Amino acid sequence: MAKESFDKEIQFLRMLVLTSGAYSRQQFADRLGISVHTFDKTIRRLKDIAGSVQQADEHNKAMTDMLRTSYYESADPLLLFLFRSKSLKESESYRLSLLIASLQEQALTPLELLNLCCEGMPEELALPDEKTIRSDLKYLEQAGVIRRLPGGRPQKYTAHNDFVSMLSDEELSDLYAFVDVMANTQVPSVQGYLLRDSLKKAMKRRQLPDGASDLFLYKYHYHSRILDEAHLYTIMQAIESRRKLSFHYFTPKSNQSYHSKNTNPMFVKPSEGRLIEMLPLKVAYDHQYGRWYLLGYSSGRSQVAIFRMEGITQLVESGVVTEDEHAAKLAALERNTSFSWLVDLGRPVTVKVRFFNPEGAKRNFIKDRVQLQGQWGVLTDEDDASFLFEITVNGTQEIKPWLRSFGSSCEVLEPVSLRREFIKEWKELAEYYEPVRKNIQLPDDGTA
Amino acid sequence: MNLFEKIFNYRMMAQLEEHGALAVTAQERRWLLMMLEHPEAAAALSPDTLDKLRQCLGGSDERNDSLRSIIVEKAGSAVPSLYHPLLRTLRQMIVKKSGMQLRHTRKDGFLLPSQTGVPYKLEYSMVKREWYLLWYNRRTRSLMTTRLRSIHSVEEMPVSGEFFNQAAATLAQQLEKRMQHATIEIIPDYNKELSRILYAFSCFDKQVQYDELSDTYTIKLTFLGDETEYVLSKLRFLGLRVRVTDHPYMKFRMREAAQKSLARYGYSSALETAEHDNSVMSAEAE
Repeated sequence: MAKESFDKEIQFLRMLVLTSGAYSRQQFADRLGISVHTFDKTIRRLKDIAGSVQQADEHNKAMTDMLRTSYYESADPLLLFLFRSKSLKESESYRLSLLIASLQEQALTPLELLNLCCEGMPEELALPDEKTIRSDLKYLEQAGVIRRLPGGRPQKYTAHNDFVSMLSDEELSDLYAFVDVMANTQVPSVQGYLLRDSLKKAMKRRQLPDGASDLFLYKYHYHSRILDEAHLYTIMQAIESRRKLSFHYFTPKSNQSYHSKNTNPMFVKPSEGRLIEMLPLKVAYDHQYGRWYLLGYSSGRSQVAIFRMEGITQLVESGVVTEDEHAAKLAALERNTSFSWLVDLGRPVTVKVRFFNPEGAKRNFIKDRVQLQGQWGVLTDEDDASFLFEITVNGTQEIKPWLRSFGSSCEVLEPVSLRREFIKEWKELAEYYEPVRKNIQLPDDGTA
Repeated sequence: MNLFEKIFNYRMMAQLEEHGALAVTAQERRWLLMMLEHPEAAAALSPDTLDKLRQCLGGSDERNDSLRSIIVEKAGSAVPSLYHPLLRTLRQMIVKKSGMQLRHTRKDGFLLPSQTGVPYKLEYSMVKREWYLLWYNRRTRSLMTTRLRSIHSVEEMPVSGEFFNQAAATLAQQLEKRMQHATIEIIPDYNKELSRILYAFSCFDKQVQYDELSDTYTIKLTFLGDETEYVLSKLRFLGLRVRVTDHPYMKFRMREAAQKSLARYGYSSALETAEHDNSVMSAEAE
């Protein structure tokens, strides 16, 4: 059986979350690169899953409303349900959950489990045979949900939950809080969120108050970041086994973000995507936009290659490279990106700016923020009114928005080209907000 | 390892819940083990618990994740400390629905006299990397936001469940009243950068509209009043790509930022006196 791919769902949800209701069905389908029929089918399926994962009263809401990010109300990651969408037959899900439930507080043999399963299965579902049970147990053992007890035959299995069951109520509550905080503030986070859901259930079973899921709030989360984590493990495995990856890539500027893989050549449509083969070396998480990047090496002209995770579809492993080649390319990548504010590979430039301390404020929040976010930049020449900030970065494009976000508390000194760009942009921005009746003439020669 | 496991399926989850069964995969345990290696773990869990967990998890799972060495984080904030020592105490108080007696310092460091109230929520700002306690001040009957760092001492004080719930309801209402809206237009020349712009706003509660005729996107943001400064910094961050269309105060602030910036570069002749009667100190970049 072909491996189930979730590219369509990932791209679909990403677009839904980012554009929050902007498009009609047709517009949405066109931009995603699917038919309206597929759009309807996908949204029905996603709604089904999301509805059963979230509270029942959410069921009748439109999908976009369901996904509207109410970050001040809940810390529950709304997109987590994507990872609950792997298809599974009803009889299989019933059987697997019955097996896990039977192994919660005891150890049983496959035959004992077979008997329990036969008794416990509802009439309308097919009864399992021994072979099925053994293959189920093998799957659950591989996933790490159950473990085999040491000792001879017959083999006995038990649920792999000791790390939860050995904890006192207070310890479990502390662990739940820790997992919540870490899942929300660290990357990667998906497994943390999945674990948090399980711990919540464990607390419910012990009748412990979990303080509700919204006791902790996390402000300014980039919700779509967890969609990108879907590719993280395939990439990690490829990096570890020194393998190349190939995928169909859509740049963020292309008008499409998905292309179905059609097995029938009669129906193959042209795609805006590009077929890429590259050697993966690192992944980067950009806190400024909440986006992931794949960094590596491709044989093309650009050599060090950077891809946005959101554009990657049909990701598969391909050829192996030698350990030496991997090490050499990794060293080249690290050399090339060591001065990247994000991932820019441009020529290193020294940026020099003066930050002005806030007047009359109780706290120097400008300096606090520069120290917090200024990466490897250095603060010098401090006095009561201002301080200098110097940093060497690859190109100025990526640091520019950050500097501009300080408004008039920041003056760019060097390079002169960046200083000119700032002057030009502030002039244009002033015009955006000019009262209509006034028309102030500003010299636009870029010198100052 | 794959995040799309049968075991994570939504039907499985519902059925496991029905049976009251717990299913934790090796990858979740590995994630936990990786997080337990974080120095913050020592602040979150007692040394005893930490030991127990490390032993139990370390023994059974085959190997540690190499994820940490593969991921590079860029443009994040330096994190002084993630797990504030008071976090546990305050969380337990909220779970127990307890009241509290609190002493905290003002922004200028002045220690205020003791106040009584009800702890409501704990909020973490991913931007400032700082924890805040949202609480109900009994005397003023209003919502307070205090940095955990500014809390000098806090002691439990029993209150009735009814009082706790009432206070929480009052705060929820007060928060609702503080909601503001702003409409932001994406300048059509920058539609090619739509993805970047929408990503930048994806941390807010927002709705997007698209007008096909003019090929224009507008974003309607909903945010709390005290978050205006952060929204403004996002607007400056995006520069020419976006324009606020309906929020007089933010429009004024954007104009002021442009004029004051130009003054820094020697274009002071362009500076007009602010007509806005709001004499709020500009807290740019806060």
